[in-house]
Amino acid sequence: MERAGPDIIHRSPDNPVVGLHSLDFPSSDICNAGVVKFRGEYLLLITVEALEGPSSIYLAHGTDGVHFTVDQNPFMSPSDDPHFRDGESLGPRDPRVTPIDGTYYIAYLADGDYGFRLALARTDDFLKVTRLDFVAEPDTKNGALFPTKIDGRYALLERPQEGTSIWITYSDDLAYWGSSTVVMTPRAGFWDSDRVGAAAPPMDIDTGWLLIYYGVKLTSAGPLFRLGAAILDKTDPSKVVARSNVPILSPREKYERIGDVGNLVFSCGALLEEERGEILLYYGGSDSCICLGTATVDDVVQACLASSREF
Amino acid sequence: MPTGVRRDLLRRWERNPIITVRDVPYRCNTVFNGTPVKLNGEYLMILRVEGQQGYSFFALARSRDGVHWAVELSPCMLPASEEPWKTWEEHGIEDPRLTVLDGKYYILYTAVCAYGYRIALATTEDFTTYERVALISDPGNKDGVLFPEKIDGLYARLDRPFGKGIGRIWISYSPDLVNWGRSKLVLSPRPRYWDSFRLGASAPPIRTEDGWLEIYHGVKMTAAGPVYRIGTVMLDPEDPSRVIGRCVAPALSPREDYERIGDVGNVVFACGAIVEPDGEVKVYYGAADTSICVATCQLDELVDSCLHG
Repeated sequence: MERAGPDIIHRSPDNPVVGLHSLDFPSSDICNAGVVKFRGEYLLLITVEALEGPSSIYLAHGTDGVHFTVDQNPFMSPSDDPHFRDGESLGPRDPRVTPIDGTYYIAYLADGDYGFRLALARTDDFLKVTRLDFVAEPDTKNGALFPTKIDGRYALLERPQEGTSIWITYSDDLAYWGSSTVVMTPRAGFWDSDRVGAAAPPMDIDTGWLLIYYGVKLTSAGPLFRLGAAILDKTDPSKVVARSNVPILSPREKYERIGDVGNLVFSCGALLEEERGEILLYYGGSDSCICLGTATVDDVVQACLASSREF
Repeated sequence: MPTGVRRDLLRRWERNPIITVRDVPYRCNTVFNGTPVKLNGEYLMILRVEGQQGYSFFALARSRDGVHWAVELSPCMLPASEEPWKTWEEHGIEDPRLTVLDGKYYILYTAVCAYGYRIALATTEDFTTYERVALISDPGNKDGVLFPEKIDGLYARLDRPFGKGIGRIWISYSPDLVNWGRSKLVLSPRPRYWDSFRLGASAPPIRTEDGWLEIYHGVKMTAAGPVYRIGTVMLDPEDPSRVIGRCVAPALSPREDYERIGDVGNVVFACGAIVEPDGEVKVYYGAADTSICVATCQLDELVDSCLHG
């Protein structure tokens, strides 16, 4: 893809790659997709908001990463199971997929009667999905599981107390969590001055864990959601090794400016195409469509490492 | 005490408050929210002391009768000066709750830092040295109380995360006291009631024949600010996430001058209770965030308030 434009991430000319027009059924809106490559296919796990309000997660299938077909039936809809019902009455949303040892874990946001909680589900085939349990108390959002264990333990990024910062928490068994500590906080005066949260699950690169995160700046007209990048220490990912001063993607195009929540780019997943050294970033525009952006790993890493620069 | 209608289920000790700043042998702002234990006939209480700097720490007090107390010469636990605890206790440690479990003393307390409130766990064997175990919640959580027994082989605590801006009582479980999960809602505020605004666990749960008696605090918001009262709820003995009875009226409301007037007026807030062999319950509570008081009644009266409120 030709290098152009003011952002480190290059937009696909086919954007948005999934919109309301891609659905065979009426719905209020679509946003925030997780992504995984499964048996040679690109799979998006898209948050679809029903006309009535609650969300479900639908699968979209593609062979080239650009053109997708959305399933007719949801992959995960608000659970009838008494254990999960109250906790996700407004639906599962914002799924982030992490493969660990051949199993695909989905950390999703359970929007329920008593606030936001994170929950975990797993699947082996993207046909049948099993909910494991809630993994946070309310109000916790933006859960992203690491693809390998850290020092023998599972690790999860999260944003507790509907707060402003990214935290990390650990578990031996994915059920009981502890040792939580803060990873990254907003920076006064920056584009991410109001709050930050994990976007895509961390990616394993030579220099550490590459984290694409979102940052919010509050303006008099409302929040501006942008995407940034940071590198976390490989052995102790609670330590930030480098963090980009500038966003890697800002809302500029119409589909990022106009929608249910305008001026917003937000991601729940990216793919590392190692042989090409490229990142495929799937992001929601204005909470109303799914878009594709690409960048070389090098460009994103350089943006992090150049973070001492003043502009 | 005036005769006639008994205004509150809990009867105040006639010489309340039992501990004030005058009883603390060093200069401090206030002393409140103490958590008691009775050991070999002696009463011990870990108190929350707010220093004149503005942050809180803990002091130990001792008593032979549960009403006359002597506060130790120096604090027993200060905000940590070393990592990994320092960051999380930078703004103080608050509201200790003491639980005896398998002969060990566990203190759940609120660690206050720039990121908010977290629940922390410390232990002591001798009330001389205190060992921090772990921060056991994310930020945005407080009022943690540990059950004095394992539930189905797991440690259990009540806590108070915020969800949609409303403080409710939840339960969480742990195999090891360090890692916690399976969190579940237990008790929510009730519209129109005295506990309509928010609530949280107060005393560590008390095992009774009918189930787990939890003495909690409920808040009503008024035009002049919050009113904190003390209430009771009975939890299922096998599955304490299930409520089997809940009081209608509070067991204690702020009425006396020392409960109405202080740094945070109109507050009665318990952090623990002692059940005497004769069935008398001594509920220790902070009054107006400024002093410590005690009020009593029979255990079966508290149980009755939950089951037949």
